[in-house]
Amino acid sequence: MISVKNLHKSFGHHEILKGINNHVEEREVVVVIGPSGSGKSTFLRCLNGLESVTSGEIQIVGMNLTDPKTDIHKLRQHVGMVFQQFNLFKHLTILENITIGPRKVKKISETEANATARELLAKVGLPGKEASYPDELSGGQQQRVAIARALAMKPDVMLFDEPTSALDPEMVGEVLQVMKNLAAEGMTMVVVTHEMGFAREVGHRVIFMDGGYIVEEGKPADIFSNPQMDRTKNFLAKVL
Amino acid sequence: MNVVWQNLPVILGGLGLTIQYSIVAIILMVVIGLIAALMRLSSVVPFRWTASAYVEIFRSTPLLVQLFFIVLGLPAILPVNQWFGQLMYPILAAALTLSLNEGAYVTEIIRAGILGVERGQKEAALSIGMTGFQTMRYIVLPQAFKRMIPPLVNQAAQTIKDTSLLAPVGVAELVYRGEIVISATFASFAIWSVVALLYFIVIFSVSKCASYLERRLQVDKR
Repeated sequence: MISVKNLHKSFGHHEILKGINNHVEEREVVVVIGPSGSGKSTFLRCLNGLESVTSGEIQIVGMNLTDPKTDIHKLRQHVGMVFQQFNLFKHLTILENITIGPRKVKKISETEANATARELLAKVGLPGKEASYPDELSGGQQQRVAIARALAMKPDVMLFDEPTSALDPEMVGEVLQVMKNLAAEGMTMVVVTHEMGFAREVGHRVIFMDGGYIVEEGKPADIFSNPQMDRTKNFLAKVL
Repeated sequence: MNVVWQNLPVILGGLGLTIQYSIVAIILMVVIGLIAALMRLSSVVPFRWTASAYVEIFRSTPLLVQLFFIVLGLPAILPVNQWFGQLMYPILAAALTLSLNEGAYVTEIIRAGILGVERGQKEAALSIGMTGFQTMRYIVLPQAFKRMIPPLVNQAAQTIKDTSLLAPVGVAELVYRGEIVISATFASFAIWSVVALLYFIVIFSVSKCASYLERRLQVDKR
């Protein structure tokens, strides 16, 4: 589903990603952990072209993202993304937030888009919120709408960029529950998070990044209970 | 008072022209400002450069000088009167110069409005597959527009006042008519009072309408 070869990313003279190689299978849930500044968010944002790639190759949803001839907008229709700050469209209602992609990008009829949006709202546990505006919802509710908005495009992969980091603690659970359900349905997911419980419980594979490298990766059980590298041990000692 | 009543048709005729030039200039300044703002924010360097040069040139010279230069100066070196007609050229040139001048300020208002929309909004739009144009059209501009209303209304009021500078290049608008009436009647105080009052009524109404519109948008949509 996703194949990353020798990915480098620099901002000016500052190299953030120093050669990332990885492969994500279909239906796999990969959790990326690491200290802030390790490059994990940048890595995720490269996967849908929100950050340009300095060098290397990314294959995703059957397209070559790093080929300049690739239609990046077409590619992004198949790659959903959920942001730390939710980024719901503030001037649109909840229903419009979810339908604007299908309607304007995929040219799906309003009736069909609305029906899908209502199903998705029920799925993320927010039926009846269609007419609300984003700032009338709590953070946890907004983030669940953001997940519904991404799902409305019927993506093949979902990318989560610290989806619970901006939430009050009591709202983290509701968002993680939606993500768990999604994983159980077989969605391919790459999740950057500080939620070690989620990584352990839902992740099929954990990637530990530090200093622009993938330091260590493996099954959650192995990484959490038996880390091999000192840097992984240090990091886990601080967060667990 | 008699002087005022007798000459009111002449003065109101001038007000009519003032309003016509204002409407044309306000519409054109927004169109020009939007295009130039998008050019300034474009990744294409020649676009950015052209739009910046336009803004700087029109902001850094007085409107009156621009009007003299384009309405009266250009015909001295170019056969513009033949191209557009002896009677048409001054009208077109005056309206266009005014629009270009105000458009330079509107460019900066719109640019600031667009830059004021959080980066995350654009990223979210791109992440669901929107093109740059769709992102601008459906996500960024509608949000930017709401922030732009107060400064745009301000600029519209300025534009209405700036039409008074069309008098020296021969447009028979409100100030021009006032001068004509005064030269015939010497009723300087009465006529300038009426002229000022008419400007006030027009501009005050515009800002009242705008604040109503703004409140409506706040209530309906965020």
